[in-house]
Amino acid sequence: MERLSLLEHTDTVNELLARYGVKFGIYKNNTFHEQLFPFDAIPRIIEADEFEYLEKGLKQRVVALNLFLKDIYSKKQIVKDGVVPEDFIFASSGYMLECEGVAPIKDIYSHISGIDLVKGKDGVWYILEDNLRVPSGASYPMIAREFCRRSSPETFANLKVEENRDYAELLRRTMDNVNVGGHTVILTPGRYNAAYFEHSFLAEKTGCHLVNGSELEVKDDKLYFKTATGELERVGVVYRRISDEYLDPMNFNPESLIGIPHIYDVFRKGNVALMNAPGNGVADDKGIYYFVPKMIKYYLGEEPILNNAPTYLPFYEDDYKYVIDNFDNLVLKDVAEAGGYGVVFGNKMTKEQKADFLELLRKEPRRFIAQEVIDFQDLDIIDKNEQVPRKADLRAFVLMADEPLVWKSGLTRFSRNPDSFIVNSSQGGGFKDTWVLSR
Amino acid sequence: MTKLHFDYYMRIDYSEEVATCNYTIKCIPMQNLRQIPTDIKIELSPPSKYCLGKDGLKNNQIYGRNELPHKMFYYHITGNAEVGLCSYDEVENSDISMVFKHPHGLNKAGNKITEYFNKLQLKDIDSDYDKAVYVMNRFYEDYDYQPLTTDLNTTAEEAFAQGHGVCQDFAHIFIAIMHLANIPARYVTGLIVGEGQSHAWVEILVDGKWYGLDPTNNKKVLNEHIKLGVGRDARDCMINRGIMHGGGLHTQTVKVNVEEI
Repeated sequence: MERLSLLEHTDTVNELLARYGVKFGIYKNNTFHEQLFPFDAIPRIIEADEFEYLEKGLKQRVVALNLFLKDIYSKKQIVKDGVVPEDFIFASSGYMLECEGVAPIKDIYSHISGIDLVKGKDGVWYILEDNLRVPSGASYPMIAREFCRRSSPETFANLKVEENRDYAELLRRTMDNVNVGGHTVILTPGRYNAAYFEHSFLAEKTGCHLVNGSELEVKDDKLYFKTATGELERVGVVYRRISDEYLDPMNFNPESLIGIPHIYDVFRKGNVALMNAPGNGVADDKGIYYFVPKMIKYYLGEEPILNNAPTYLPFYEDDYKYVIDNFDNLVLKDVAEAGGYGVVFGNKMTKEQKADFLELLRKEPRRFIAQEVIDFQDLDIIDKNEQVPRKADLRAFVLMADEPLVWKSGLTRFSRNPDSFIVNSSQGGGFKDTWVLSR
Repeated sequence: MTKLHFDYYMRIDYSEEVATCNYTIKCIPMQNLRQIPTDIKIELSPPSKYCLGKDGLKNNQIYGRNELPHKMFYYHITGNAEVGLCSYDEVENSDISMVFKHPHGLNKAGNKITEYFNKLQLKDIDSDYDKAVYVMNRFYEDYDYQPLTTDLNTTAEEAFAQGHGVCQDFAHIFIAIMHLANIPARYVTGLIVGEGQSHAWVEILVDGKWYGLDPTNNKKVLNEHIKLGVGRDARDCMINRGIMHGGGLHTQTVKVNVEEI
């Protein structure tokens, strides 16, 4: 009964989201479009004990990924021991030589990790992807919850749902943990960035300055924020969405206009914390994904709690053969792509496409991974007043503060197209709130 | 052993005023088994407070920011270096060595370089060092030095295809060939005895030692070279890099002199 009452307010919530500018931007054919992110009021509900299991598995995974990053940019023991082949590190576009020998504050590389999971029809959760380069999305369920409570307070009166507005506190705790002394700022590339709404929302909720590159300046190996009156005030930690390549034109891509010259030199000397640390792309590459369960065993001596989707690396001869033999049952992913691009299903290709693809795979086996298509559980959504099932995933957020913290909510994304498995917002999907029950 | 004195002067004149400028200069000789730098003097104009540090490959760097309007910028670095103290350089950081086995950026081989490599028939030569020297001798015969036909973004394959280039191109192509032969190799920026410009050559890793080879001059690196920086390709160790607001047209002058003392 209570849930029904919330559903009646779907339109109200969507109107509020539109009025508050809850949008994301995408570039299509080189022009910028801003889209609303359609909200569906039927929440994904996760029971307390199920979430407790997820929480343990997510913490374990993120702790191992952080150890991996530390290892790759120093001793490279996991490569020397033959667990991860060299090719998957040094030929990866995510590996950054500039990060060699640089230790981030408290050895934390991935302060904010977004781990994408799906639940199979067999009831088992599978990890689909790790996002270690400041993943976006937490702001959407946060603000949606706020509007749901406002529109339909009675829905929440008797339900034991874990509060999700504490994300700002968790984030602040994560920032404060690595602050070397000074302001905390959220650096945005500006309003034409896909996640601009999120940046401004998180700045407001965490009480940080929202700044763009021109408001920050490096002087004498320290980073400063320029106030309105022109004074310089020290910055101790930067949450940034600007990608590594564009962060600092003096150390990375010299053509970047949005970066801060020498910010990486300041970071290198330990005089500012960057969230997340540059160089993380080497660990959330789709090729490296295959090795994460091995990393967990290698660094922690533990069995992985959460499973990967069954994955094959055509780089290995046995796996290559398997992929050729079972091509129609597999989904193939280009390791360098993200956001649902570069994903193809074996059974959806024409004969010519398949022949072309097999040729490409033969030439560049390192470039692809293949996965079994997981038959994942559908979630119901309301489409034109009808309740219909759609594919959905879950992005869980893990924050690395003085200890790993898992946010008791998450972004549930769904595909609005009944035939599609691709849920990415950049591909027109919608989102749901994620309710974690407290008992 | 030889004692060299070096003098490196780089100046940029602008047609309009520069409001602010950020610079990074990688022009201080490294200290290692083969060379010991002494009496380094750094002069910058407009005078500014600069920072000293090391990049990911432990190359020395000078960096900073000019905040006052200026129409000219120069740096002038002088010093001495004892060179030829050893025939090779030690591995500074064994953990990074494996990086130099993999093609990257401008040093990737394409079809033309691969074809050339296949014709070299290196199988009959036993040691990696001998292979590298053999390739250097052959390549010196087959490739011409010709300035102003390539630029900072020319890849090894492009430079090879046109049949001529400058020291940067010699080095990139040589690295690409070394990678095809499974010999770790890296790009070196530095100075060589004489007057003129900066120079570039290659180091190969054999038995845990970095040996310098100068394919442009068909020479082993010993008594005449001062090493400034290393990288996978030229972009990793550019001698100077800058970003400025304003400035209009730039005119760059570089004067380098290295002599025995």
